[in-house]
Amino acid sequence: MFTNPAFDAALLRRYDRPGPRYTSYPTAPQFSAGFDEHALREAALASNGDPIPRRLSLYVHVPFCMSPCFYCGCNRIITRDKARAETYLTRLYREIDLTAALFDRDREVIQCHFGGGTPNFLSPAQLRELMDSLRRQFHFSDAPERDLSIELDPRFISPEDVAELAQVGFNRASLGVQDFDPLVQAAVNRIQSVAETRDVVDACRQHGFRSVNIDLIYGLPRQNLAGFARTLDTVIDMRPDRLAVYSYAHLPEMFKAQRQIDATDLPDAEVKLSLLQLAIEKLTAAGYVYIGMDHFALPDDDLARAQERGSLHRNFMGYTTHADSDLVGLGVSAISHIGDSFSQNPRDLPSWQIAIDEGRLPVCRGMRLDEDDCLRADLIQQLMCQGEVPVAALERRYAIDFDQYFADALQKLKPLEADGLVRRAPGRIRATTQGRLLLRNIAMCFDRYLDPPAGPIPTAPRFSRAI
Amino acid sequence: MSDTAFPRTDRRVLADDGDALRFCTTCAFSQACLAQGMDKRALMDLHMLVEHVGPLRAGDHVFREGDPFDAIAAVRAGTVKTYTIDREGREHVLGFHLPGEVIGLNAIDEAHYPCNAVALDTVMLCRFSFPKISVLAMQVPGLQQHLFRLLSRDIGNAALLAGDWTADERMAAFLVGLSRRLAARGFSADRFQLTMARTDIANYLRLAPETVSRVLKRFQDDGLLKVDRRELELIGRAQLETLAAAVLRH
Repeated sequence: MFTNPAFDAALLRRYDRPGPRYTSYPTAPQFSAGFDEHALREAALASNGDPIPRRLSLYVHVPFCMSPCFYCGCNRIITRDKARAETYLTRLYREIDLTAALFDRDREVIQCHFGGGTPNFLSPAQLRELMDSLRRQFHFSDAPERDLSIELDPRFISPEDVAELAQVGFNRASLGVQDFDPLVQAAVNRIQSVAETRDVVDACRQHGFRSVNIDLIYGLPRQNLAGFARTLDTVIDMRPDRLAVYSYAHLPEMFKAQRQIDATDLPDAEVKLSLLQLAIEKLTAAGYVYIGMDHFALPDDDLARAQERGSLHRNFMGYTTHADSDLVGLGVSAISHIGDSFSQNPRDLPSWQIAIDEGRLPVCRGMRLDEDDCLRADLIQQLMCQGEVPVAALERRYAIDFDQYFADALQKLKPLEADGLVRRAPGRIRATTQGRLLLRNIAMCFDRYLDPPAGPIPTAPRFSRAI
Repeated sequence: MSDTAFPRTDRRVLADDGDALRFCTTCAFSQACLAQGMDKRALMDLHMLVEHVGPLRAGDHVFREGDPFDAIAAVRAGTVKTYTIDREGREHVLGFHLPGEVIGLNAIDEAHYPCNAVALDTVMLCRFSFPKISVLAMQVPGLQQHLFRLLSRDIGNAALLAGDWTADERMAAFLVGLSRRLAARGFSADRFQLTMARTDIANYLRLAPETVSRVLKRFQDDGLLKVDRRELELIGRAQLETLAAAVLRH
């Protein structure tokens, strides 16, 4: 098992450069329009052909939000018009019918996640209807480890609603908090009280949710150490099973909402690093273990246990314990990972609607992974989840000579090795405690699509920075 | 023993492509021909053409039922599935042909291919085309014998699955059979890819697709093998052999 990461400010500063978060490899910018409906059908057919076809993970995207949070980089639509939910659901049901038909009926759904936007923009009754539709079209597993999870905005859900969601079958919840500091909340346009948050956490517990996750963000406008320390103390007191502490990436060229943020309000790099350090120190002192890439969990949580067993997995929803599943994305902008393919639905509502109204699967781009992609994806996956590159296992699995195949990557890794981020051991390359906060920098050495590596940082980066 | 997992191309297996005069090392016939003192030139004199075909892509047909029979093909790389379609339009899988194995033998007494042959992955073939097999067989008596030996092996493969065996026995026999055939061709006996789809395996073994998965899962839970997508690793080989013994004896 991991020890907790070492915090080395000088090192982190030097490695704070833009890079992918590796929720997939290859990353989304590599997807192309050449991957169409036909390609998706082929990928699904091939995945049904495995001797033991993988189980399915469903992701359902609800794009609507009642109010705009200024930090948000997600694909969402701000509206208070609840009628929009109905027209969206009508299409979504059609997409569910079209998509479910691609998969053999004996392929069980082991995980289903509702994300957004704000899934609780839909009423509990609508969520129930949506879940019923999914259960009719897909074969949900009865296994105890089946996860039905939902992202909740605590400002727009009552404890009674939570009780209803538990009845529908949801057993994991993820709550957005970001920061309880009123000055920060005003600066990001998200006013949310401790009390309403605690009520939702308590309701989840009371109604048998297996885990509650809370999201925090560091690097937000007007954030400071004193305020963030109070937020951390308050959150630790709520004792969520899982915590995500994300770095705010200010990319106003890419995300329109962020243009509302006054850049002069943003903490400088030094303060931002101190905020991260504070979070790591407080959370580990409170008994949380660091899972990797922004994520913490209590030691008896399934994520921490999975990491101990070596069965942790990372996908578009973050870390998960269901490694052996094909991911089926439903709804506008949703991404699927079926067999050796990635595919994505249109990011804009009209294109998604038109495809469905014409009876087509609404895929608009994607890619088929070649053998090299699969190898590197496997390597990066192991690195992000277990903190090591299993050299010997990869040589065996892919019939390669590692040092020869990855000669370029190992060259790029050398300075990181010299800085003590990684250490070579027989049959493996391990991230050190110093390297654990810089997993994405290590992974970047193995990313074929980042070449040429020595080039200048683009003026409008597509990726957020490492810290 | 080789540790190269099928279908990755083992350099040792494909290293020798042969030339105008020499057979390549994978050639299914070279032994029989050379034993009769026939080299490639001698075959050419008989108007027999030996040519490399491919690569074929998954889904490409080598031949279709009813095509005029004018060639035997040996697999050099990849997997070829042979099958027929019955009057109701249902597919019947006859077999899977691995590197070094011959397809089209069951056509030998006919003027037309009696079945379809399709590539399941990237396939390389060696094609022996000839005007008349009878002429050739007369000139090369050992070849005829060799062909008949290959032919009876072909039929044997099909017969072994027609008996009254349990799903476990069928599956074990299928896996042990594949393992032996691959090992004989220089591939790893314990690690290989199932290049055929679950429905093809099910069809061939006369089982439901769900049963194929259920049996493999049970084998996996019992520690007999490991399945990762299409990659298979046999661990409890002795137990699999025992399960398969009754079937393979026949």
